[in-house]
Amino acid sequence: MHYRRSMIVGVAAAAALTLSACAPQAPEESGGGSAEAGDATLTIATTTDVVNYNPLIGNSRSDYWITNLMYPHLLSIANDGSKEPQLAEEWGYVDETTGYYEIRDDMTWSDGEKLDAEDVAYTMNAVKKDAPSGTFYGQLANFESAEAVSDTRVEITLTQPDSSIVEEIGFWGNVVPQHVFEPAGSTAEFANDGSDGGWVSAGPYLLTDVQVGQSYTMERVEDYPLVEGGTPIAAKVVYRVFPDVNTEILALQSGEVDVIANALPPAQVEQLRNTDGIEIAEVTGLGYAHMVYNMQNPDLAKVEVRKALAHAADYQAIRDVVLQGQADSTGSSPLMPVLSTYYDDSIEEYEFDTDLSRSLMEDAGYTADAAGMFPVSFRLIYSLQDSVTSQWAQLVKESSAEAGITIELQGTERNTYLAMTNEGDYDIYAGNFAIMDDPVTNFTLSYLPGGAINYTYVDDPELNALIEEASAASDVDEKVEIMQEAAAIVHEQVYDNIMYTQNLYMAYSSDWDGFVSKPSELLSIVNPVSVASAFPVSE
Amino acid sequence: MSIALFVLRRLGRGILTIWFAVTVTFLLLRLLPGDPALAVASPNMTEEARATLLQQYGLDQPLLTQYVLYLGRLFQGDLGTSFTQSIPVLDVLMERLPWTLLLTATALVLTVVIGIPLGVLAASHKGAFLDRFVQIVGVTGQSLFVPSVGIVLLLVFGLNLGWFPIGGAYTDGVYGGEWYVSVLTHLVLPALSLTLIQLGSYVLTMRATLIDALGDDYVTLAKANGLSPRRILWKHALRNALLPATTLIGLQLGFLVGGAVLTETVFAYPGIGRGIYEAVTQLDFPVLQGAFLLLAVTVVAANTLTDITYGFLDPRVKTS
Repeated sequence: MHYRRSMIVGVAAAAALTLSACAPQAPEESGGGSAEAGDATLTIATTTDVVNYNPLIGNSRSDYWITNLMYPHLLSIANDGSKEPQLAEEWGYVDETTGYYEIRDDMTWSDGEKLDAEDVAYTMNAVKKDAPSGTFYGQLANFESAEAVSDTRVEITLTQPDSSIVEEIGFWGNVVPQHVFEPAGSTAEFANDGSDGGWVSAGPYLLTDVQVGQSYTMERVEDYPLVEGGTPIAAKVVYRVFPDVNTEILALQSGEVDVIANALPPAQVEQLRNTDGIEIAEVTGLGYAHMVYNMQNPDLAKVEVRKALAHAADYQAIRDVVLQGQADSTGSSPLMPVLSTYYDDSIEEYEFDTDLSRSLMEDAGYTADAAGMFPVSFRLIYSLQDSVTSQWAQLVKESSAEAGITIELQGTERNTYLAMTNEGDYDIYAGNFAIMDDPVTNFTLSYLPGGAINYTYVDDPELNALIEEASAASDVDEKVEIMQEAAAIVHEQVYDNIMYTQNLYMAYSSDWDGFVSKPSELLSIVNPVSVASAFPVSE
Repeated sequence: MSIALFVLRRLGRGILTIWFAVTVTFLLLRLLPGDPALAVASPNMTEEARATLLQQYGLDQPLLTQYVLYLGRLFQGDLGTSFTQSIPVLDVLMERLPWTLLLTATALVLTVVIGIPLGVLAASHKGAFLDRFVQIVGVTGQSLFVPSVGIVLLLVFGLNLGWFPIGGAYTDGVYGGEWYVSVLTHLVLPALSLTLIQLGSYVLTMRATLIDALGDDYVTLAKANGLSPRRILWKHALRNALLPATTLIGLQLGFLVGGAVLTETVFAYPGIGRGIYEAVTQLDFPVLQGAFLLLAVTVVAANTLTDITYGFLDPRVKTS
């Protein structure tokens, strides 16, 4: 018996020692913050862990939100899609194949190194050379090289005239510290996981602690000239991971988190709007949801069939029922109203008219059977992870059946959906894009032959010529005119069926205020300036 | 059959099972529709960039070559590097494994500690109200869906009553003893959730085997010898009824690990189950392979241990 007791005590002692080793140690106290800034912690909920800390590779939203607080962009974006200064104060073109950025001279990395034009040029050249898998590389098709011609001026050389590239690179690309990234080798392979002495930041916050699956703690960088007062207000920002949106909302309601970074599901917006202690911020959407008809299918190659399908969907009902009124019509045009410079209100939404659809099908040479159904059947693919599209796909199927057109729904897991999309394995593609900020870039990718997102497989010489003309046009009015002409062709030929722009709603605690909203879910109220400007109401 | 041979055979079977699990996992992942290069890259990636990515991952090699290389590295203890995080898979898994072990072990212990008395209670009151009540609770428990149970527990005990935190495994920014307390309070709801869905099968099995045992001749003999019903139940019948329950513990471990994927997702618990969920969405083959291997080893080890224990407890097993 004595032996057994000794064993139990021994095991308990060993367990206690092991657990002691597990417990985190309290950090040493550091010096106080600035007089203007408070000592509050802003806790933000996100649904995914950081996948990659290298902003040139990063692909998940959490990657973007967290690395954005450390690695600045040259340009930001306004609600109408126009670009605004961030690190760059001026930008434009020297000639048709040379662009430039004039950057601020008061930015430093958190390790004391100056952030200058060399960092900007290095970042662009390294991305072009190493081809990392992020969005940035995709913007560099017509980019040849970048050169720092002074401490504050970067000039880029293009392979051909491209009137969008300066703004697109400036908006999509983060600038990384050359003195950290260059010694690490290829930017496509550098994990930047802080294992070699932590991170370096030129944003408002610096990542200091990572608890995988649980939280990401960032501490204030005292000198951040992009925010009023020059210092971020919250001393710490903690991103907490809640994979389930329902749990995330409960955490906001209970006060465990202050902000939810991802947009709320439409069904949750009204309920939370009426919940005490919670505020809802409306954020402009800069993307759209659409259906694309695969013209490799002989039936869908006929414009009458595409039009028949376009008139067989009740867009207003979709926006009212599925999106609960939280979406706007784009007039079935890829030039959304939010892009006010480009928007053409003479293009009108496809009217929901099943009689017109039937008539168009007959014009295309099809005869309905006794049950009123035409001898066609189309397979519509969508991602099951996208709950909104999953719902409206069902409505489209039902309304198309009223027009005598059979649609088979094929909802799949996201990776399968991506693979099927990539292989053109669909008749109708249903999906959405988060940000379509630049119409010329959007049209180039969507409607030129070989374009990365040309899901229609369209190759229309007239449209191609207009897009190429717009790409080379340096005058904004001229570019707008060309793009409106191109959009009219897309609408008339139903090369794309743009259904709505979804407005986004973000939830935060009424204990906080001062957020600065930017369009799109990627920026919303968790963009660097917004996070740095937020303050606790009680203070 | 000698004990040594019995143990060796069980170990051999375990190793064979692990090899089979490794091979099936390897093949299944590559049969999945979807392109890992697409999962980690932006949709406007060029064909060249995609080819470069596939080359980086070694996915441009023939399947057999990939398999041989993978097994070769595995024998050297190298689980590969995460596609998406560019860090060793072992590091990815080891950060998460302790939390899953804590959660599943707690749930397993709770299931056994609550399940045995409930099963005994039901069996000893066979046909009575208590027995029917326990049966209803058992069957209902088996029908529960983990996320639904999780959300209800969070809503009631987390948000409304405020007794427990909403998510995570501990409170950020607390240290020492306070940290342990926070670990315990964060553990309660996910462990309870897992326990509730596992409890049913344990209680019902316990009840059925104990009722069988109570009908055996040795129980009749014990009654005839004047032993008290309590002594017969706890000292004799229960000991024999525990044997099938021992097997169930091993089997349940597999279910617990499966349940952990959903439980950890709902409760934002940073375990390996959530790691699997995330790796699936990102088609991160090396992490998935590593995670499944780790789980296969855990489950096989537990089952082998159960088999061996069973062999010691019931000598008939060794000779069969």
